[in-house]
Amino acid sequence: MTRLLVVDDEPEICDFLKSFFEDRDFDVQTALSGERALELVETFKPQVMLLDIKMGSVDGISVLRKVKEKNPKTKVIMVTALETTEKIEEAMRLGADNYITKPLSLEYLENDVREKIASLASKA
Amino acid sequence: MTKSLVRLKRPERLLKMITRFLSRDLGLTHAAILVFNPEKSHYAVFDSRGVKKLPLSFLRFDAHHPLIRWFHSKDKETQMLRNYLSRERIQTALRHDSPAKRRPELRKDLEGLARILKDLRVEIAIPGHFKEVLVAILLVGEKLSRRLFTQTEIHFFQTLVHDMALAVKTTEHSREIKKLRQKEEETYYQIVKSLAQQIHAKDPYTFGHIQQVEQLGLLAAEELGLELDSKRKATLSAGLLLHDVGKIGIPDPILKKPASLDSDEWKVMRTHVEKGVKILEPLTDFKEAAEIVHAHHERWDGRGYPRGLKGEAIPIEARIVSVVDAFHAIVSTRCYRKGRPMDEAFEELRRCSDSQFDSRVVEAFIRVMKKNRKVI
Repeated sequence: MTRLLVVDDEPEICDFLKSFFEDRDFDVQTALSGERALELVETFKPQVMLLDIKMGSVDGISVLRKVKEKNPKTKVIMVTALETTEKIEEAMRLGADNYITKPLSLEYLENDVREKIASLASKA
Repeated sequence: MTKSLVRLKRPERLLKMITRFLSRDLGLTHAAILVFNPEKSHYAVFDSRGVKKLPLSFLRFDAHHPLIRWFHSKDKETQMLRNYLSRERIQTALRHDSPAKRRPELRKDLEGLARILKDLRVEIAIPGHFKEVLVAILLVGEKLSRRLFTQTEIHFFQTLVHDMALAVKTTEHSREIKKLRQKEEETYYQIVKSLAQQIHAKDPYTFGHIQQVEQLGLLAAEELGLELDSKRKATLSAGLLLHDVGKIGIPDPILKKPASLDSDEWKVMRTHVEKGVKILEPLTDFKEAAEIVHAHHERWDGRGYPRGLKGEAIPIEARIVSVVDAFHAIVSTRCYRKGRPMDEAFEELRRCSDSQFDSRVVEAFIRVMKKNRKVI
């Protein structure tokens, strides 16, 4: 089972995406904060991570930086409500594997996650 | 209900209100409405978080999304399921002897749709069309009581979403009409300006002057407390810019004569008023501006031309034009004399108050000029 970590400061969005991916046989954990996300990166060791770029307390960008330092193999898809190109560019420069913008298309999201898993498998 | 929905200016708020009403008053887990956004060419979600707090507004549905495609299509055999979809109906269609048994692609579609409804935790999806176009889809969650929906309830949803589609479309249309009207107004103003430029190609007045006349006239109108909506403002602008449009028809030797005109020449010169009216009359948009042009040489005491109108019978806009125009004539340097200082012009205007000019307009104009000395 693929381990997926969803990081968003809105609990409803976390819950929604958790059950969406669990229905598709993913092993899903969620984090409402950057701190919790970093803990889970250590213990849960997600293969793919959906990371909100702008969360209340912690900046998604700094979480991304730490994840890529510690577990560079983790695929990180940034989720952003605003199309702030600078933030997106910064994230991509820091090693984010893709980004999607809210409002998001579930089909697109699912395809993207599956693509990332396929690329992990091909490297292994 | 339709009428009141259609009058709403911002359907977004209405749509949220409806979802709130549905989820709260009908005791649903949640309700959401997908609405086509033509600018972004996707369907955006307006939702109420309901008791179960299901957030759907962070989602979008592209035009090729199976749910959208399903309600776009007009397959006769599955008409029933295209009137509205429910998880229950899909299960029945998949279970019993139905077209889905014979058509594997249809089976696949229905299975996909069932999954989508499950993802969204939606019990029923009802499309709202307007003139064959899919405008909105109403998504309804479960009843908190877990009871099934009755036909009456479903019928109510259908009526509701039909009305919503109508409201959304009507708003779009009125927005488009508003844009067109704005454009029209701009074009109108451009025409006025280019006409004004034409006039002053012949006249020693420069175009810069005439634009000042326009500005000052508008300021005076405001000072007088006239209520200028955009239409009335445009009309007054046109009157200020075009009051001498008839001079196009005055022979150059008279128009440009550097000395005083004799009485025959004056007769010709005075015809510029009616010539101006004739130029503007055929243009429906300039009907009211033509009225101003017609009356801009009338005098407060009734001794003006061409009709000898008196006092309040002269449109207020024309009274403004006459004061501003006279002021400009006094302060401007012409080929036959030097312009005079502003204070002298004010004195002159006051001297002619109640005879040539409406004193109320003169005083308002002087107040404005003193406040805006930098303008000229």
